[in-house]
Amino acid sequence: MANAQKRKTTARKRTASSTRRSKPTHRKLGSARGWLRMLAWFGVGIGFVAGFASSVVVIRLDRVVRERFEGQRFRVPSRVYSTPSIVYPGLEVELADLRGTLVRLGYREASGDGALEQGQYSWQAHRVRVQLRAFEHPTRSEPARDVVFRIRGGFIEEILELPSGHTLGAVLIEPEQLGAYYGPDRSQRELIGLEDLPPHLVDAIVSVEDQRFEAHPGIDVRRIGGALLANLRAGGIRQGGSTLTQQLVKNFFLTPERTLKRKVHEAVMALLVELRYGKREILEAYLNEIYLGQRGSTEIHGVGEAALRFFGKQVQNLSLAESALLAALIQSPNGISPYRNPERARERRDLVLGLMTEQGRIEPEQRDAAIAEPLSLAAITPDPGDARYFLDLLRTQLSEHYDAAVLSSQGLRVYSTLESRTQRLAAIALREGIEQLERQFPALVSDDPLRALQGCIIAIRPQTGEIVALVGGRDYQVSQFDRCTQARRPAGSTFKPFVYLAGLEPRVGGPAITLASFVDDSPLEIATPSGPWQPRNFDREFHGRVGVREALERSFNVATARLAQQIGIGRVADVAHRLGIESELPLVPSLALGTADVSPLEMARAYATLAGGGVRPQIHSIEDLVDPAGNTVERRELRSKRVIDAGTAYLATSMLQGVAHRGTAAGVRSTGIEGPIAAKTGTSDEERDLWFIGYTPELVAVVWVGFDEPRSIGITSSQGALPIWRRFVGELTGGQIHGQFPRPSSVVVEDVDPVTGARALWGCPDRRRELFLEGTLPEEVCPSGAAKGPEEDGFQRTQERFFEWLRKHL
Amino acid sequence: MVAEASVKRATRAPRSRAAAVLAAWGWLAVVGGGIALIGGCVGSIGARGGVALRISELDDVGDARHQASMRLVMEGLDAEIGSNPQRALSRYEGAIKIDPSNPFVYLTLARYYAAIDDPERALEHLDRAQSLIDPTTTIYRSVEPHLLGLRGWALANAGRSADAGPPLAEARRRAPSVWGDGRLDARELR
Repeated sequence: MANAQKRKTTARKRTASSTRRSKPTHRKLGSARGWLRMLAWFGVGIGFVAGFASSVVVIRLDRVVRERFEGQRFRVPSRVYSTPSIVYPGLEVELADLRGTLVRLGYREASGDGALEQGQYSWQAHRVRVQLRAFEHPTRSEPARDVVFRIRGGFIEEILELPSGHTLGAVLIEPEQLGAYYGPDRSQRELIGLEDLPPHLVDAIVSVEDQRFEAHPGIDVRRIGGALLANLRAGGIRQGGSTLTQQLVKNFFLTPERTLKRKVHEAVMALLVELRYGKREILEAYLNEIYLGQRGSTEIHGVGEAALRFFGKQVQNLSLAESALLAALIQSPNGISPYRNPERARERRDLVLGLMTEQGRIEPEQRDAAIAEPLSLAAITPDPGDARYFLDLLRTQLSEHYDAAVLSSQGLRVYSTLESRTQRLAAIALREGIEQLERQFPALVSDDPLRALQGCIIAIRPQTGEIVALVGGRDYQVSQFDRCTQARRPAGSTFKPFVYLAGLEPRVGGPAITLASFVDDSPLEIATPSGPWQPRNFDREFHGRVGVREALERSFNVATARLAQQIGIGRVADVAHRLGIESELPLVPSLALGTADVSPLEMARAYATLAGGGVRPQIHSIEDLVDPAGNTVERRELRSKRVIDAGTAYLATSMLQGVAHRGTAAGVRSTGIEGPIAAKTGTSDEERDLWFIGYTPELVAVVWVGFDEPRSIGITSSQGALPIWRRFVGELTGGQIHGQFPRPSSVVVEDVDPVTGARALWGCPDRRRELFLEGTLPEEVCPSGAAKGPEEDGFQRTQERFFEWLRKHL
Repeated sequence: MVAEASVKRATRAPRSRAAAVLAAWGWLAVVGGGIALIGGCVGSIGARGGVALRISELDDVGDARHQASMRLVMEGLDAEIGSNPQRALSRYEGAIKIDPSNPFVYLTLARYYAAIDDPERALEHLDRAQSLIDPTTTIYRSVEPHLLGLRGWALANAGRSADAGPPLAEARRRAPSVWGDGRLDARELR
């Protein structure tokens, strides 16, 4: 065992000595091999690390690609639309604003009356022909139609559908887009499917942007080589080698910086996209993503949106020339914009058409015909900034159910109640009305726009509660505070009708007053916790015994305050709440004179209840909400509630008609507006708030004028607010107000003695007609002591009945 | 002188008699014509109104706006008859947009909601219809059975049988062929 160990040790020593002896030659070789081995190992290590790192990067990029492609690809802002226009025979062309509507909707005027394309119209003196686009809506869809409006004497005489020649009772024109709820990128797109696109649009884009799209795997080496050579020859970057897939990747996932890292990422992601998804899917994503220009502060993305904005038509209806123009824009959407640079746009369009021909995608004849086509573009309509207060109101209402991210990305369609023309007229009336006031009363002018005289106007339909116009201030850019819905200001005398209504309401023992009653306008002092309160009239005088109508028509404070005391302030507040006032109303004597703070919206609702015969409408601003798939997500139904007896509401309306006829609001007719108007002026203490609320059978409009930081304006509401209302309603109706306030069967007409308020019988020296709720006729008669009752006054009653019968039946 | 006066009287008397006859005839003609005119108007309105109103009888009544609105009401009723309630609703909404103070749209909507067992809304629209229709017109007489009947129908739907009874009974009495079954079909209103 010991010998064996010795032999092993000796052998090891021998081997070691022989190695030492061969060092000069073998040492070098061994060292090189070691280095090589090390290098190899290092290389393997580096390769491993690089491979690992690149795998991580690729996996990460792949995840990014998948997340975007398989999740929500596009953020589509929710759009808000006006209510659609309905055109029917008998409508005045100017009031219908037919041409303005068509222009704002992007319809293009054709030169002749030949075959029109969809979205085109021809306008002649007696004949307007329109190729109406289809209106897609879950319940109100309308087909695309070729329609002729025959016009006579400024009115639409007949509507015919071509080619059948059938007459149409009414035509619905699609609603106008009022705005959209954008995300931070402010991009707007109309999503389309590949199957909706005309083949020549796809051909045009592929031919100019990536003619080998079908063949390459995401990057096109041949094209990159070609671009490299071209750029070397040109001595700078003249041509890009990016494929459609790379462009999509760049827009979808990457920043526009020009670095090697980004280019590598772009190439890898392009390969990944092509690996994972089909060409059709990639092309569809590209066509929805591609940036095609700017409209105001909004970016136009995708060919669907661009077709609407540039040509006023759905993408599927684009002609070859229009498709080529869109393809031409991709290279430099703003530089080649056909609006700014039509010649350049046309040149580039023709180049695209040439490429399409070269590549055999179209025939030379088609190219020539398309080249001959002029650039026919939809008019650029001004940004409808006027509706932005309304859009804010809608956003607030929608935010109860949808957060801001949903609104800016889910592509909902919000169909609102706003009437485009009504809104525009309201905005003009307010802005120009306030400017006029500043010219008339220079003391009202402020250098600081934030402290300038302000105003608001809101209009609603009393039967439906729809807000049809809302302008919350004179300039949204300066102040986004909506004075119609967010401000609370003293209502002034516009509150007084509630007092009289409370007095007229039937109650046990009969109403406190009738329209034949008298109220006392003599000095009054009421004890309050803060000391005696002595109301005074605007003219600083007292008028003694005055009729109820006169007291409201001349807006007497003292008489109204006394009447409120007689009725009870609590009852007055109750009536106001029932009508639609939601703000807290302090139960103090001065409430009768409108010292409580209320919003114009509340006042509009309260007056709408009067206009609607005592039925309070639920105010709403949204008709329905539709998701991108076309399903109705939410729908607002018309809701209302009777809160005031129809007869009492009618009496109040009759009093307010008197105010507009003879009283403080009489100026409302000074420009010749005809038809039924009921109205009330209101000026708060020290003329800090000017109100004018007026209604017709179909519209309630409230105008408020004042400073945001309350201070005296120094003029009355009939000088400040009334002219704005008059201008708005005058323009809206063309000076002729339709309809009537129908008299309910519970209201009867009776002659009264204007001096005493007694029923005027045969022999009464003076008389006027007055309205009464059934069972509330005055007990007293004129001449006093005369026989009363229909039996005793037979002849007169018979005569009256005969004329009443004639009135009813003729 | 006396003879001359009597001759004058004698020649004047037949003239004045003739004038009196003519005057009487003239008055009779005026009064008769007036009565005929009134009767004609009343007759035509009455004929139009009938016992219980049908919307199709009103398509040429009122101004162009009202007529356009009524056409949409008719289209809505047709859609209801064709079992397309969504389209019907959209037509009624259009009718309101054209003429928001057209009481017949609200009347039709009240029928629509009564038919789908939504008495609350039916009553709301009925109130609105009632607030818009002038009770002094002849048409009102032909609308009234519907106003009463719909109120009764809606109240019955709401489980208020006691309140529903009187108006329904009155509607049945006034328009038995329409309200005999206590309901108003879209066809019956159309």
